[in-house]
Amino acid sequence: MFCIKKISLFILLFIALAALNKKVSAQTPADSTAATDSLLLLQIEAQMQTTNDAAPFVPRVAASSNPDISVIGDFGASYINAAKRNFDAYLNEAEFSFQSVVDPYIRADFFLSLGKDEDTHKYAANIEEGYLTSTSLPWGLQLKAGKFKSAFGRINPVHAHALPFIDLPNAYENLFGEGINDDGVSLSWLLPNHAFYQELTAQAFAGYGDSPLFIRSDRNNFLYVGHLKNFFSLNDNATLEFGLSAAMGPNDSSLSTQVGGVDLTYKWKPLEHNTYKSFTWQSEIFYAKVQKTENIQVNSLGLYSLMSLQIAKRSFITARYNYAQDVNAPAAVLMAYSATYGWLATEFQKIELEGKMTEQPNHSQTYEAWLRWIFVIGTHGAHQY
Amino acid sequence: MSTKKLIATFFLLGTFSFSNAGIIKVVATTMDMKSIAELIGCEKISATSIATGYQNPHFVDPKPSYIINLTNADLFITVGLDLEAGWSPQLLASSRNSKIQKGANGYVDASVGVNLLQVPSSLNRGEGDIHVYGNPHYWLDPLNGKIIARNICNGLEKVSPENKAFFEANLVKFNSTIDAKMKTWSAAIAPFKGAKIIAYHNEWCYFETRFGLHIVDFMEPKPGIPPTPSQLVKIINEVKTNAIKVIISSPYFTTSSSDVVKNQTGVKVLTLANSVGAFDTIKTYYDLFDYNINLLTAALK
Repeated sequence: MFCIKKISLFILLFIALAALNKKVSAQTPADSTAATDSLLLLQIEAQMQTTNDAAPFVPRVAASSNPDISVIGDFGASYINAAKRNFDAYLNEAEFSFQSVVDPYIRADFFLSLGKDEDTHKYAANIEEGYLTSTSLPWGLQLKAGKFKSAFGRINPVHAHALPFIDLPNAYENLFGEGINDDGVSLSWLLPNHAFYQELTAQAFAGYGDSPLFIRSDRNNFLYVGHLKNFFSLNDNATLEFGLSAAMGPNDSSLSTQVGGVDLTYKWKPLEHNTYKSFTWQSEIFYAKVQKTENIQVNSLGLYSLMSLQIAKRSFITARYNYAQDVNAPAAVLMAYSATYGWLATEFQKIELEGKMTEQPNHSQTYEAWLRWIFVIGTHGAHQY
Repeated sequence: MSTKKLIATFFLLGTFSFSNAGIIKVVATTMDMKSIAELIGCEKISATSIATGYQNPHFVDPKPSYIINLTNADLFITVGLDLEAGWSPQLLASSRNSKIQKGANGYVDASVGVNLLQVPSSLNRGEGDIHVYGNPHYWLDPLNGKIIARNICNGLEKVSPENKAFFEANLVKFNSTIDAKMKTWSAAIAPFKGAKIIAYHNEWCYFETRFGLHIVDFMEPKPGIPPTPSQLVKIINEVKTNAIKVIISSPYFTTSSSDVVKNQTGVKVLTLANSVGAFDTIKTYYDLFDYNINLLTAALK
């Protein structure tokens, strides 16, 4: 009895399964047509691929919408003879950069800095730069908007860690502090000159500078910067850059400061052995007119000139001369001489040592020395030439 | 200037600008890409290269003067795989030319479809200059030259569809020339199959694989790190133990450290051509292999 029941159960199960299978089979032709269609489509696509492309593209890494990210560490140590505390050591800055193309029209670059406040010795977060750059404007134009370093001269657009010296030239520091780095807009135009590279940049900033010569005005007075860059390839191995800059903006006397600058850079870098040998001579002259009162205008001059010689694949020596008239009292002249040795271990690490002797306006001499250790993790793009 | 002179000047300028009309302006990052582009595009294109054939393609300075050519280019050809990561993105961004930006019709990544070697399974800069996508010196295998040519041909056809048949015909010619020459090159190097050699930098793996050579070690202890005394001692021992006959290098590396090994062991130091234009006689992509195979086979005899 039990056996018959079991057999009938099996038969029922078999019939049910068969019915189910039939139902599935009945659906197959429709699916099969779809499969044939997509197969045909694949075949057509494959055929197009073979006629138009080298091979089907296989992504090599997982696609990611993350921007290029890097962290730059700047560890420093210093010595100064004319101070109560002669030695100091500190992590000067940790710079985080995020860079990527936004869409077919613009790209974005952010540099966030965690730096040590010189007075409080506490770390504070700061947006060093954060800006968009257009990639597809017509007529050789490029627009930049956000907070960014201005195009004035040769030092201002470069991040401090990429400069071949640790301290800034005195004349530059007197005028701009750590540099013009402010909120604003910039429009540059690549001149249609086929003989040499020529770029004209016009920038307008809200007005905040890092020195009393440029401050943010309560009124509609903004800081304007212009730069004309002329770049000549003398031959395969040598280049010459000549630039003219101007900055004009409100100062702490509620009047205006005007600065004009001329820069000249000669670079020799033999193409074949460009990783072993190079020589740079770079000079800048600044002339400032600071309106103190309606009737008093103080004019001052400052300059620096440096030579940098690559002595081995990873070793650089840089010597710099500084001349700076006091921006408030031009009769007071400061002169300084510095020498820097840089060892560039790899593209991602460099150690620099700089010694500087300053002849103060009162003819006393100050001796300073710095050590800087720059280290980078992540992808960090190239710097300007 | 009188009105007549002014009109004449405009007319001359107009003549000059129209005399180049229809010519596709190609900017390639390296001479190899330029050479292949010229073999496919022939008189329909005018090509320039940013890097010369005798400079290290990893370390090209992004000089503003390169931007002038990029601004007016119709087609940009890159070796890709982060070989030019240190300089070409900045130049492209400054070019203000939307036709040649990544993703546009005028942007050709010549590495698409290449079977890559030495793709790292993990990334650690402690190992030196590691390339995230794999070794980027793939043009040193002539059969990869055919893939590069296909990619360049595709790019040319996108920017100049009316010349498709012309480019395709040249591609067929290029491929058959490579096939014919490949037989000659393979036959020349066949007696030296498995020959052990030392290379200065890790840039010959595609050449090594294609022609059956065996690179035992590198002068650089890690890619991008200059030779150290302990590495030289290691190399000297390897040369002696394996009876290695040659150390191969490129024009942009100094031979001072290789010369130390040469003086100690009698090994030959060969400066091979890494790119078209590395030496005056290497004018085309075909010459590149003619030169290297001739030099190598003579040294290995």
